[in-house]
Amino acid sequence: MTAPTTLDPRTKLVMVLCLSSLAVFIRDIYVLVGVLLLSFLISVILKGNLFPAFKQMKRLLLLIVVVAVAQSLFAPAGRTIVALGTVPILTTGGLIQGAEFILRMAVIVVSATIVATSSYREIVQGLVQWKIPYEIAFMVSVAIRFLPMLIEEIKDVMLAIQLRGVELQKIPLRKRLRIYSYILTPIVIGTVIKAEKLAAAMETRAFRAYPQRTSYMILKMASIDYMLISFSMLAFISVVIVYYMWGI
Amino acid sequence: MFPVELKNLYFKYVGKQTNILDGVNLAINKGEVVAILGLSGSGKSTLCYCMNGLIPHVYKGELSGESLVFGSCLKNMKIADIATKVGTVFQDPDTQLFSPTVEDEIAFGPENLCIDREEIGRRIASALEQVGMTNHRLASPDHLSGGQKQLIAIASVLSLQPEVLIFDEIMSQIDETGKTRIKEVIRGLKKSGKTIVMVEHNLDNLDEADRVMVILKGKLINFTGKL
Ligand SMILES: Nc1ncnc2c1ncn2[C@@H]1O[C@H](COP(=O)(O)OP(=O)(O)O)[C@@H](O)[C@H]1O
Ligand SMILES: [Mg+2]
Repeated sequence: MTAPTTLDPRTKLVMVLCLSSLAVFIRDIYVLVGVLLLSFLISVILKGNLFPAFKQMKRLLLLIVVVAVAQSLFAPAGRTIVALGTVPILTTGGLIQGAEFILRMAVIVVSATIVATSSYREIVQGLVQWKIPYEIAFMVSVAIRFLPMLIEEIKDVMLAIQLRGVELQKIPLRKRLRIYSYILTPIVIGTVIKAEKLAAAMETRAFRAYPQRTSYMILKMASIDYMLISFSMLAFISVVIVYYMWGI
Repeated sequence: MFPVELKNLYFKYVGKQTNILDGVNLAINKGEVVAILGLSGSGKSTLCYCMNGLIPHVYKGELSGESLVFGSCLKNMKIADIATKVGTVFQDPDTQLFSPTVEDEIAFGPENLCIDREEIGRRIASALEQVGMTNHRLASPDHLSGGQKQLIAIASVLSLQPEVLIFDEIMSQIDETGKTRIKEVIRGLKKSGKTIVMVEHNLDNLDEADRVMVILKGKLINFTGKL
């Protein structure tokens, strides 16, 4: 493959859409593992930033236990591994369900790293060239861009509170919720003010002056893009067909 | 015909008791650099919003009097027409830059005006040259210093080719080297004939000003050396 990082963002979006819909539809753990491996491979080839994704997934691993136990309790299936009297706490069915859940999440997390190898300006342009109104594409992209800033701010405030010796874990839930609202209110207000200022700055630079706008950046699909898009859709459709004909 | 003219301007924000602008009159000549001083909260930014159309088009309140650019009333002008006459750079670099690259940032305004690609390319190059940031064309604004961000904010306004520039305390969050470079750029813009309104709270930044005014209790008066 030649210079794969220069793939059109639309190609990446199509690939990612195929991968994540497969992840959602498929109920076969082996196929799911395959989809996840494929997502990994694509992300690695495109030089995706997988490190934060790994960190996120580590946190998700805890969820596997929760999902497995919940599934075992409410929809017991397979062999019982742990039981409390006659109530099954953990079944093989539940364990598999939990694992599938995590695999699905992992595919989505890895997919996000694939999309993120394009700058969001390119993604917006991709969407616009797909005839999505630029206001919507633009607003979504600005929101996505400022989200990490918001998260950082919340983390900072939480840290500041904990540094003052407040142990949030030890405070009863109702009181803790009140503390959270004290923390979040100024942050939300600050964010709204920032957003208003940003909107005003955009307005003075003629944002939404006309229903259309030109674009200095123009995306052009290369033959590799067409190939990958056709291949992804074909693969997606054939997996769905094969899966539903043989699986059910 | 003045590039900027305020006639008997009164303004009160929604929900406020007093007029923040209480009978402001001002006429600025072509090519003139007017500095406006005032304590924090005295209404300097509000005055800027009256000159760039954010009042009444975006910020709401009770407005009376007239605010004109080149003889046309801002109230009756469309955003697109105002943007090509008056350009504004704001105080906080982080709430006016939003693009992944410097080039995209500068292209944003002309793109909104449906200007064709080749012309946008020329404007990007020329705006970058005017602020001395040509080497940073493909950089991400996130990775620039505060002073450099303000230079990009200036460039992204210059690409709309406005004749009037409003600088609302653009050096207040910037270190000394940044300030020096911004002042150089302002000097160049003055030479090229732009009409400039610069809001300042630091008396050291007034070298380029032809006239210094101060906002006091909602009125704009000539500065006599004391705040
Ligand atoms: N959008 C707004 N809505 C209501 N009040 C505002 C708004 N913007 C500013 N004000 C109020 O108007 C006053 C003057 O603000 P501003 O013009 O920003 O002053 P300056 O720029 O001189 O510091 C302040 O008291 C501020 O609280
Ligand atoms: Mg201000």
